[in-house]
This record gives sequence, C-alpha cells and structure tokens, in this order.
Amino acid sequence: MSGEVLLHLEVNGEPRSVAAKPNATLLFVLRELLGLTGTKEGCGTGDCGACTVLLDGQPVNACLVLAADVEGRRVLTIEGLAKDGELHALQKSFVKHGALQCGFCTPGMIMASKGLLDRNPEPSDAEIRGALAGNLCRCAAYPRIVKALRDWRSFENVPLDTLPHDPSERDQQRDLAVVSHAVTRYDAPDKVCGRAKYTADLRLPGMLWGKILGSPIAHGLVKRIDVSRARALAGVVDVLTGADVPDILYGVSPARYDEHVLAKDRVRYVGDEVAAVVAVDEETATRALALIEVEYEELPAVFDGEEAMKEGAPLVHPENPRYANNVNTRVEWHFGDVEQGFADSALVLSERFVGNRTYQSPIEPHAALARFEHHGGKLTVWSSTQVPHYVQHMMARVLSMPMGQIRVIKPAVGGGFGVKAETTPLEFCAAIFAKRTGRPVMMRYTREEMVRHFRGRHRQIMDLELGVKADGRISAVRSRIVLEGGAYTSFGVITAYYAGSMLPTLYHMPNYRYDGYRVYTNLPACGAFRGHGVPQPRFAFESLLDMAAEKLGLDPVEIRMRNAMDANTRTPSGLDIASCEFKETLRRAREVSGWAEKKGKLPKGRGIGIGCGGFVSGAGYPIYRSDFPHSNAIIRVHEDGRAVSLHIAAADIGQGSDTVLVQIAAEELGIPYERVWLVDCDSVLAPLDLGSYSSRVTLMGGNAVKMAAADAKSRVLKAAAKRLGLDASALSARNGRIFVAEHPAVAMDWDEAARLAFSADGPVVGRGWYSPPKGLGGDFKGGTVGTSPAYSFSTAVAEVTVDLGTGAVTVDRVTDFSDGGTVINPVAFHSQVEGSMIMGLGETLMEDTVASPNGNLANPNLHDYLIPTIADAPEIHSAAVESFEPRGPFGAKEVGEGSLLPIIGAIANAVYDATGVRVKELPITPEKILAGLRARREVAK
Amino acid sequence: MQLGDFTYHRPKSLPEALALSARLGAGAMYLAGGTEAIPEMKRGRERPEHLISLRDLPELRGIRETDGRLEIGAMTSHGEVADSPLVRRWAPVLAEAAGSVGSAQIRRQGTIGGNFCGAVPCADTPPAAVVSGATLRLLGPKGARETAAETFFLGPRQNALEIDEVLAAILVPPPPAGSGAAYERFGLRKGMAVAVAAVAARLVVDGGAVREARVALGAVAPVPLRAARAEAALTGGVADGETFARAATEAAAECRPISDIRGSIGYRRELVRVLTLRALLAAARRAEGSRA
Repeated sequence: MSGEVLLHLEVNGEPRSVAAKPNATLLFVLRELLGLTGTKEGCGTGDCGACTVLLDGQPVNACLVLAADVEGRRVLTIEGLAKDGELHALQKSFVKHGALQCGFCTPGMIMASKGLLDRNPEPSDAEIRGALAGNLCRCAAYPRIVKALRDWRSFENVPLDTLPHDPSERDQQRDLAVVSHAVTRYDAPDKVCGRAKYTADLRLPGMLWGKILGSPIAHGLVKRIDVSRARALAGVVDVLTGADVPDILYGVSPARYDEHVLAKDRVRYVGDEVAAVVAVDEETATRALALIEVEYEELPAVFDGEEAMKEGAPLVHPENPRYANNVNTRVEWHFGDVEQGFADSALVLSERFVGNRTYQSPIEPHAALARFEHHGGKLTVWSSTQVPHYVQHMMARVLSMPMGQIRVIKPAVGGGFGVKAETTPLEFCAAIFAKRTGRPVMMRYTREEMVRHFRGRHRQIMDLELGVKADGRISAVRSRIVLEGGAYTSFGVITAYYAGSMLPTLYHMPNYRYDGYRVYTNLPACGAFRGHGVPQPRFAFESLLDMAAEKLGLDPVEIRMRNAMDANTRTPSGLDIASCEFKETLRRAREVSGWAEKKGKLPKGRGIGIGCGGFVSGAGYPIYRSDFPHSNAIIRVHEDGRAVSLHIAAADIGQGSDTVLVQIAAEELGIPYERVWLVDCDSVLAPLDLGSYSSRVTLMGGNAVKMAAADAKSRVLKAAAKRLGLDASALSARNGRIFVAEHPAVAMDWDEAARLAFSADGPVVGRGWYSPPKGLGGDFKGGTVGTSPAYSFSTAVAEVTVDLGTGAVTVDRVTDFSDGGTVINPVAFHSQVEGSMIMGLGETLMEDTVASPNGNLANPNLHDYLIPTIADAPEIHSAAVESFEPRGPFGAKEVGEGSLLPIIGAIANAVYDATGVRVKELPITPEKILAGLRARREVAK
Repeated sequence: MQLGDFTYHRPKSLPEALALSARLGAGAMYLAGGTEAIPEMKRGRERPEHLISLRDLPELRGIRETDGRLEIGAMTSHGEVADSPLVRRWAPVLAEAAGSVGSAQIRRQGTIGGNFCGAVPCADTPPAAVVSGATLRLLGPKGARETAAETFFLGPRQNALEIDEVLAAILVPPPPAGSGAAYERFGLRKGMAVAVAAVAARLVVDGGAVREARVALGAVAPVPLRAARAEAALTGGVADGETFARAATEAAAECRPISDIRGSIGYRRELVRVLTLRALLAAARRAEGSRA
C-alpha cells in the first residue's frame, strides 16, 4: 500500500480509525490526525523521549513507530492518564514535587515513568535512572523526578488541592502569607496532563505550513535561485526568496543590525536561510525545498576566531568596512593601574583557557504561527519566544508596521536558556506568508535546523593574567578574550561586554584591564546563553584562582574569602553592589560540604572543588534605547471580589516566573494564591514587558506586579475604610481578610470590600510599572552593560570521582549556597539551582558543537551533541543564603543564571584535585583527562 | 522530520515475506523495530521504495531452547533479551549487552535482529554474541543456512545477507563448563550513549589456567572484531592480572579504530586496553563462580 490506508487502533481506551499514509509515524497520527498534542516532538529521531507513549503497555518513541505498524494495537498517551477529571497519582506526584519546569518533556517523562511503574511499582533510584535515561529534560528537573517516582503511591486517592506543601521546601520562616511559600506551580496541572499548548500545538482553520531552505555551503554568493519546480509541486501555495523580503536589516543590538530575513545575495554559514516555502502541509513544504535550485559562487571561508582576525582572512561582512579583520565588536576597558598592580604582586600567573561552543538545547524546537487580518491590517504572531516584546518591536521594524498593529502571543514555551531571545526567520516568514496568502501559517524548526540556526554560546579564547599579593589578595587582572561569534552579531556586542563586566562583581579587583574582540566567522551565529558571556571567563578565573592559591599555599575557600565582594560596594568598573551575602555562601558551602575533612584528603581519583558566581538581576538598560518602563502590570479585581486577574507579559519559559508573580500579587493584595488568574502572555491583553532574559523577571516584573497590587488594594481598602468608618491607613489585608492590625476583631472580608469599591467607583484596577534606577553604570563606552538594580552571589562545591582508566568523571555531589535575596518560591528557586548544576555539568564535561573542516556542523542533533540525562545527575544540596535586596520585591533578586556560573569552575577544580590534571579547554572530556594523566606520568619519569 | 514515500507491506507469513522480498528486489527493505531504520530514512540516508514490516511474523519472535541451543528470534526486543531468564542462564553476557542498548524506549522497540542487520560498528549485542559462539540463522527462498556471528559483518552497515534473505534467529550454544563472560562498554555519558569502545570477553578457566578465550571488540573496527592476538596471549596462560594485562595490550594494538567526534584513534586504543582488562577480570571472576 502506498496511498492512504485506514488504520484501526485503540487510543486511551477508545477505538479510533484514521486514514494515514504509509510514511506517517504514530507521532504524526496522534498529533495531526487525532489532535492529541500532549505528545511532543523534540527531535524526531528517538534521542529525546519527548514523544514517549505506551504501546501495548510498553514505552516507545512515537516518532520511530510507523503508524501502519500500530494497526490493531493499544496506545496510551498523556491525555489518557487522568481519569474522570482526577489526575493520576503519578501526575499529582510530579506536581507536588515540582518535577517539571518548562513541561515540554513532561508528558514523555510521565509516560516513560508509567511504563516503569506498571512493571515495577516500587523501583529503586537506580532503576528509575535506568528507565528514564532516554527522556531528556533540559531544565533538569531530574532530582525531583526521582522523588516523584519514589513516593507516587502516597498520592493515590488524595485530591490534589488538599495535599500539604512539603514543609522542607521552606528556607526561612517569615511573616508572609504567600511569598516564600512552596506553592504549587501555576501551570503544573496543565503541563502534567498534556493540556498546556505550546506554539507547535496550535491549529487554526485553513492553516498552512512553511519550511526554510538553508545554505549547503559556509560562504558564497547566491548567483541564481529557481523556484519554479517548487512552485509547481501540488500543494505548494507560495515561495519566498531574498528578493521577496524587505531590504531592512535586523538583529538584536541596534548598533549592529546585520541580518536579512532571507539572504539577499550572500550566505555566510551552512544553514544560512535563503528561501522559504509554504504549503498545505509540512511534508509538502519539506519536499518543495528539495526542488529549489540555488546556484552559488563558493568563497573562501574562515572558522577560527584568531584566524579570522589575521590580515587577508576572508571577510564575513565585506559590505561593511567597519568590520575590518572581521572584528565585530571591540571592547577596551582599563580600571585602576594594571601595570602597577602587577608590579605590586607577589605572584603573577598567566594562562590561556578555551571555552566550548555549547548549545542551549531546549527540548522544544522554535515555532511560530502567524495570522494576518486583512481588515485593518493587523498581524497576530504566536511564538515560542522568551521576548515577546522584542519580537513585536523587530517585526514592526522589518515589516514596516506600527508596533501596535502587531499582536504577539507567547503560548507555553518549552525552555529557552537564551536561544529564544531573538526574532527568527520563522516569525518573519510566517508573517510574510500569512499576508501574501491570506491564511494562517505555522513554521517550526526541526532539531537539526534549530541547531544550525544556533545562537548558542560563543567559544571564547581567554588569555588571563592574575596578580595576587602574598596574602592572596587580588592586585591586578588582565583579560584578553577573543569571542568566536559566527556569521552575525545577534547578541554578540552585549556578550563581548558581559565577558568582561562580570569578573569584578564577585571579587574586589582594584586594577583590571579587559580587551575583548568579538569576531565574525563562517559558522552559525552565537548569541545569549544562560549566564550570557560569563560562564567561560568565570571557569577560567575560578581555575586561575585555585592555581594561585596552590602556589601561595592557601586554601581555595580562603583565597576567595579574602577577595570576596562586600555589600554596598561600587566596583572600579562602576557597578553598584547593594545586598551581598557572598561570604556567607562561602562559609556555608565550606561547612555543609565537609570541605575541611575532604580537601586534599580524598583518595586518588576522588576530588573536591569550589567555584563561585554571580549575575545581574535584570539588565539596567533595554536592548534598544527607550524610556518605557521595563516591566508593567495591570491588576483587575473581579466584580465579586473573589478573584483578580493579573495582566503582565513577562514571559515564563519554564523557570516558574508566572508562579512567582502570582505569589507577589496575592501577597501584596492580601488574598489567597488560588484567587489570582494569570492572563495569557499576549501583547493585546497585557502591557509591555521586556521578557525573560538577563534574569530580570522576579525583580522587575515582581516590582511592577507589587506596585499594581498595592494600587488595586488601596482602592479596596478605601472602600473598606469607608464601611468601617476608619482611615484606610489603619487597615491591613491578608488571606482574604481586611483588618486593623492592632484590633484584629475589627475586620471584613476582602471580597466584600472589593464589591463595595466596584459599586462605588466602577472597575477596580491597579497599575504598576518598573524602571531600573536612572544613571546606572560608569561613564565610559559599554559602561551600561553589566549594570543592574541588584546582583546575585553563589558558591558551589563539587565532589567528583574520576575513573583513572577511562578518564570518565562522575559528579557525585554538589553543595550550593546561593544569595538570590528573598526566596519567593523555594521550589522554583531550588529547581533553578538544580537545573543549573546539571546543565553546567553538561557544559563542563560533555557539550560542544563541533564543525567539520567545511563548516558543516558535525553534531546538530541530540544523538551526537550530548546533554546530561537523569543518570548523569548528581546528588544536589541546594540552599539559600537570603540577603534582603532593597530594590527587589520583598527583597528578592535573581537565581536563574547566576546559579550556572560557579559549577564549571567547581567541577574543573575538583577534577584537578582528583587527578592533578588541570584541563584548561572545555569540555573536560575523559580523553583530555587521560592525556593529562599520561603527560604527568611522562614528566614523573 | 519527514519520512519519504514508500510502499508498505506487512506479510502474514515468512514465506510471504520472502516472496515479497524476492519480487521487490533491491528497492525493498525489511523493517524490524525501526529504531535505526526510521532515523536513517528521516535523514535521507536510506531511501527504500518498499518497506516490508516483519511485525506479523510470530516465527521470528521469542526465546526458546531448541536442539540443545538457545534460539532468540530476530524480532525479539532488546528488553526481552535483557530480561529473559533463559538468556541470563545461557548467555548472561548477551543479556548484559542488550540491556546496555540505547534507552528503555529503544530497548522495548528495537530488536536484536535489527541490531545485527544494521551492522553499525558500535552495536552492543554483536560482540557479546560473538564471544558466546553464537550463529545466525538466515532464511532465503532456498531454505535456511547458518553463519557464525562474527562472519556476518562485512563492514559498516554491510552484512552477509543475500538480497533475498532475512535474519531469522540468533542461536547460542550452551556455555562451556567453567566459563564466564563479561561485557564492558564506554559511552560519553551515563545514560543512553553509543559505545565509544566496547569489549566482550569469555574465558574458560580450569585449574587456574585459561583453557579457552574469546575476546570481541566493538566500535573500534569496521566490524565487531575478534581480538585474535589477545586470545592467543590468553590461551594456556595463568588466569591472572598479568596475563590479562598482556592480552589487553594486544587487543589495543590489534583494534582498528577511527577518529571521530567521540574519540581519537589513540583514545579508543587506550579504552580497548582498559576495557579488555576489566572484561577479562570480570569474566574470570564469573568463571570461578560458575564452578562454585
């Protein structure tokens, strides 16, 4: 059979019949023919497990099963797990343990877990790890997933909403009713049922599917494109080439817009987008790409950053003379007197460290859906973005539309980590096609396409020089970094500055020089990745600090203690540190990890190491110049006073910021958490918010929400005061009651007061906004990068075992203490830390995007680019050291990015402690460790 | 990712399958579990015009003892092989290797026959089958023939099947008295990673001496490689660390690895040395245990 055939199968206990082509996979049948979009597609090749379903009771990857092979068989998907409106005990356990963040891997994870538990209801931890190693979770909720499977049975026959919160999740008791409580994630119930809709799950009547053709060569001129055969293919509706897209450059940094939606005349990396097709279905669009004929004149290409800077190297952007020698961004910073600092040093170390080209690898590939309303010329775009506002802004620019005519909606997003922080050709092409065809257009990347589009971490070549006094105090630091940027600027300008700006925030550094060169090459463009530009310099510096400590005979914790940042300090680079409990994180990590008993005392092959980090709590300035507040919120009290809606377009991409904002709203209003509706992230429904990047949402969005809540509350209290015959200033609100603090008996229900307010003055609405303090940063070029209202600090101690035969590293345990200010939600806080530790483990030990000699990526998939599995996750002890940040809502700062920074250095230092091998080039692979061990043996001979 | 077009066939009997295959010729491909074939087709590296699903052929499934041998149907999943008490008794090393393939999902879906026919050098079960002395039953229009597992592989993704043949079963002879076997593999992470190097070893130990030795290497040659020099260094020697270390050095010298993103030639040789030593030590321990 080659035409469509009728298949009969049992899905979630119901008989279903579908007509499908022989090449349809079970995944396609479930998602596209049966509308069961709870089953996700993360890779299409069986490497991620997001599409796991049970087939005749056994877990399989639905992307690898031919639908025709399923005739007459029994399929259970995530949608079939809850019964009679009641979640399955396993789903409740996931919710209550916080065993999910972005939720994209969750349906597959739960189905794989179900497959295990059906055979073995009480598995050991080792059995859990073995059974779930084929389900990748980039948020790395792994430790909580293990917990969820350990005691899932205790959730049988227990309604979800009556379950007590785990009291061990509370870091600190304080007199707050909602904030600092481990409330259930706002979106968790939808995510464990497969009900949460991600962009690629959306369907509109008449929807078309688009695909983009990438360049097969790394550098060349497009001489001719013939799309006639593609257009002639039945089912193809429209085709775009560079000639059809606006001649308007875009990008991220306004100073360096250098991208066209589709290449106008030159391709600069393998995968550079050259043409696009839209068709009745994705299969037809994919086929049509192969029918587009492109004739290229191939040009010499350059792939190495240092080669690219040499005279005579091929120029990636010859059209713009400002990029001489391929230097895209040059940073020169000089604070204090570095020469004198080195002259005053007792010890000067100079080392080269090299980073890796890591990729964010969210399990959800990028997707965009666009619909154009021809009446009034309005455009709606649904996008898997972490920055809806910047998408709106950039689309307005490129499409020459007023920003207000463009509506951007962010559905659930399956992780971003920076890779979804910019507008892609998907949004642009979908919009252009939608306008040209008059039909909604869905576009999404495959796993391979998203990796080729890239925007991952810059590989940084770092020459670091450190001068310390005899007592270990830092006297001078010189850093010269070449950042390999790839073919376009993306976030690169900011990355280059960040690579220099964050070193002096952690340690007192009186004399500091930074020379940064962000360089174009003919590889995919690099962008912003969790910790933006900082993790590699942090790794280098933490390594160098340990090397200095060893030479001076100082303990690694001690040398950090002697240099650690203090509260209320202005760095020589002009950054203002307010709250800072860095030293306390050092002390606690030293104590709890058992450092003194272990450091230098472990047997050969085992080691312990320390690393530290810290990050901004939101960038002090927006990406493009604007006086608009960075975060804005509206709260509307519902007419009966029993609920409120929170309108804010802060983009939760899985980190749990929606939950945090709802908590802040509830706390400030004085109502229970459950009474808050969070309105969808939609530019029509909520005012401007800059989105999820630079770890900004808790502080900035939280401040806006708190202000809006206070505003709404003041209207309710006014009505209450009138009824009680008191002054509003005498009243407090908490848990749905309004009362006089000194006389709690004088009280009324919050909802009654809200009804009075509505009856008297109409809609009860509160407005809030947040702008960072004006004038942050030094008065020098790039002085704005690295500014922030507040900074986080953290210390991680890693313990490793190195297999001295193979070089394999096992991270046994990590102890982390983070100062993220007040913890708003302990589950979200520790989930971010745990996820960072595991992601950082991957970046340290296994991750690197490798290019072949012709510039083609050798591992643009999850089969060859390895990220940690549940079996790789160490035991993690995460705890907070809470400072009170005066600029943060309820004293809160950030935790999402700063938490990634200490772990790379900690593991590197632990590997050194275990083996005596100092690997200075990431990732620290088993092969490099063995080479180091061999070199040491030869020296010893 | 998109699969190309093909015609799908699902024969209801083995003769029907063989006849179809003979009729359709080179454009046809058998589909077993699909865990290797489907991704290869999605990547465009395999473009069959016809897919012949082996799903409905019960004669290719199951694990049983027949004529003094263990017979594992080619369509038996890795998970079934790994969990089977029969396999664990007859050839625990094969169960060990099958249990190390891919993920739980891949092990439930992928088949041992597919692992052989795919003939990728890093496949886990072939080295274990080779040291177990397994033979393969190949069925064609002219009937059945048997071939030793180690002669089945001709090169990367190339096997000894004639165009009209299908792999029906893996046949394992009883383990010799006093034997023990082990499988050691190395991947770049702890879960779901293909082997960078792998070693299966089986020793027959008698009175402290190695009577017979089989060592097969995976992922370090175009095919699963019998390490003949290592075996020679073992046979007749004292079953101790010194002998094993000598054999491990031989194995490292005689493997023929390539350099790729997972490891260099030099690193793979070193892994072969380390893993061979470990496999031999474990095999010797088990051989000793088998006598107890």
